[in-house]
Amino acid sequence: MRGYVVRRLVAFVVTLACVSVLVFVAIRVLPGDPVLVMAGPEANPEVVARLRAAMGLDRPLVVQYAEWLGHALRGELGVSLQYDVPVGRLIASRLPVTLPLTAMAAVFMIVVAVPLGLYAAVHARRPGDYLAMAVAQLGLAVPSFWAGLLLIMVFSVHLGWFRSGGFEGWTQGVWTGVRALLLPAVALGLFQAAVLIRATRSALLEVLGEDYVRTARAKGVHDGLVVVKHAFRNAMIPVVTVAGLQLGQLIAGSIVLESVFALPGLGRLALGAITARDLPVVQGVTLFVASCIVAINFAVDLSYALLDPRIRYE
Amino acid sequence: MRGDALALAVLAVASLSALPVAGQPAAGLVVQVAAEPPGLDLTATPASATAGVVFYNIQECLVKVDRHGKIVPWLAERWHTSDNRNYTFFLKRGVRFHNGRELKAADVKFVFERAMNPETKHPYPGYYAAIGDIIVKDDYTVTFALKSLNANFLLNLARQGSVIYPREAVDTLKSAPLGTGPFRFGEWVRGDRIVLTRNADYHVKGLPKLERVTFRFIADPNAALAALKAGDIDASLFGLGPEHVIDLQKDPRFTVIVGDTTNDVILAMNNSRKPFTDVRVRRAMTHAVDKREVLKGAMFGMGRVLGSNVDPLNPYFVDLAGAMPHDPDKARKLLTEAGYPRGFEAVLRVSPQYQYTVRAGEIIVNQLQKVGVRVRIEQIEWGQWLSRVWKDADYDLTIIGHAEAWDISNYANPKYYFRYDSLPFQELFQKSEVTLDDKARRDLYIQMQRMLVDDAPAVWLFMHPRLAVVKRGVQGIWKDLPLPATDLSEVSRTP
Repeated sequence: MRGYVVRRLVAFVVTLACVSVLVFVAIRVLPGDPVLVMAGPEANPEVVARLRAAMGLDRPLVVQYAEWLGHALRGELGVSLQYDVPVGRLIASRLPVTLPLTAMAAVFMIVVAVPLGLYAAVHARRPGDYLAMAVAQLGLAVPSFWAGLLLIMVFSVHLGWFRSGGFEGWTQGVWTGVRALLLPAVALGLFQAAVLIRATRSALLEVLGEDYVRTARAKGVHDGLVVVKHAFRNAMIPVVTVAGLQLGQLIAGSIVLESVFALPGLGRLALGAITARDLPVVQGVTLFVASCIVAINFAVDLSYALLDPRIRYE
Repeated sequence: MRGDALALAVLAVASLSALPVAGQPAAGLVVQVAAEPPGLDLTATPASATAGVVFYNIQECLVKVDRHGKIVPWLAERWHTSDNRNYTFFLKRGVRFHNGRELKAADVKFVFERAMNPETKHPYPGYYAAIGDIIVKDDYTVTFALKSLNANFLLNLARQGSVIYPREAVDTLKSAPLGTGPFRFGEWVRGDRIVLTRNADYHVKGLPKLERVTFRFIADPNAALAALKAGDIDASLFGLGPEHVIDLQKDPRFTVIVGDTTNDVILAMNNSRKPFTDVRVRRAMTHAVDKREVLKGAMFGMGRVLGSNVDPLNPYFVDLAGAMPHDPDKARKLLTEAGYPRGFEAVLRVSPQYQYTVRAGEIIVNQLQKVGVRVRIEQIEWGQWLSRVWKDADYDLTIIGHAEAWDISNYANPKYYFRYDSLPFQELFQKSEVTLDDKARRDLYIQMQRMLVDDAPAVWLFMHPRLAVVKRGVQGIWKDLPLPATDLSEVSRTP
């Protein structure tokens, strides 16, 4: 077990190093200059040159990367070119939006998908199954930004139950915060829920065809008990794998939904930073998100042993 | 039991709908802005997002460009010059900064000396290049001695880089600016909003009329539209396009303001790249474009067709929209004369950040096709546009709006991305910069506008209209925008 964790930790560091180089190079290869974006088309070349020197962008790329890496190893992610605020502080200020949003979307995804998938598998090729699959198909077909706009039109514009966007902060009360994030969480979780419904259904269907399930049924075990106790737990491994991957996608997907709902989260920070070529912020956010995804995958791997005691990490 | 649960659910939903949505006091105004300012220091950033919040609301200048485009006394109650070299400003007495201290002539001297100091990295040092000396005569009198004549001196003092702030607040300008404006800086919730509150000591009696202004950052126009309809914002001053406004014009809950701006939308041609080096080709391009059609398609008819570079809000504007009319036959003839009887191929680079440029581009491509010019549209991201088109002039054709007032100077700069290099025009422009007599200067401006029509370095398409939407009952929003600012001092609302 210890050897496994060490190996995973090394892989973790290597992944992050690769991500940092990739992002650093990618944003430099892209045409587009942070100074020009900041100064705008009316600025004169002198202003542009002065700003460039002030931001330290006139130095060779390797020097800039080495300096950034040195600071990053000490836990300093640099200072935003746009806001002149430490990147770490910027990221931390956006987490109270993005983390609860992702968590709520994940809860929505699991609460909707697992029971529906289960129901569809148990009622395979019957009307209930077709209905569940139609719902899943719809979830897959609707782009999340459009689902977001639709939810706004119905629940904000027509019914007036929720604000159309924005986030007042948690200081206004937990309910105010939850209320601001509810619609975007549903829109964000919709697509992932649809994927998970299908994954749960097919995983469970496969297990339900196994010999030991037939044996349990032959012994006269109650059908509900067979599904929940015998079949479902064994079907969980592929479901957890898919759900883990989707958790990472939820973080990435928040970029679009945070724009539609004007939420001050990590996704919008990243989007604005890319548009403004705010390299330290892009770099910092990407590293953070990559770390989250790698950590989730790690947790998923460890959970296999809990679900199936036969699995050992040697 | 089940019935109880249902009743509870209905009750919960009912109580939800009874909660006030985004409760704002009647005297407050929530304004949508598309971009969050990178910082709030007008002496450090040229960003229009910063000016949209700070300029005229938190900070003001010695003189002001009013809603009609006229330069009027402001923090200086009057000024005097006998030789156009020495300008003496007499400050209004009793004007207080937001920290309670009175504005004095020494503050004015400090602000401009700081702007002129290269160390401070002011975004527009050129505006103050003509200033030789600043002399404080007494607490309320200050004289600017100019090294050379400068016809735009007063205008430059009214621009966003020339705001007056207390010297003791220099370090906090970026995050919590102080000034003399009608509103005080309240709070900035990064990523979400900036709140300004009423300055009860404002030097103009009876203003401002609002207790509080909240600028909310909503980048997506569809989200802004939904926020308006849901009642979460009271006004959208820049964020909506004509496609959204058409719908809102029919909605009795809103007032749509369509006004003039200084934003000239042009089809720019790279004058240093063949075939646009030939004036006949450039004229053919102008004749080939049906500007009315473009305005109808791209802006739903809102705005105004242009013929040359000066905008309709400029006092020296002459309407030259008909000077080089739509005439495809003439365009074909000119192309044949220039050696392109079968036309040529070109690439049009536009940035979808400004949707109207893409829409206008699609229409223009069709029109040019009719005279044999085959254009391919290439959409590039804004950062790339700035780098490739604006900085490196790596383009054949592009469409963009030039929002700055008095920007005819761009055509006198051969290094500007048009790459238009005309000595007669440059001489004319230099002359206009040092001509102070209004009539003589007007004549020079008219000559310049006509020369541009003749040389056709670009195709001037239309003036981008001001499209603002406010809730019914909100009054006092500027109809026209003689300079890019969001002055909310006179805005009021009836519940």
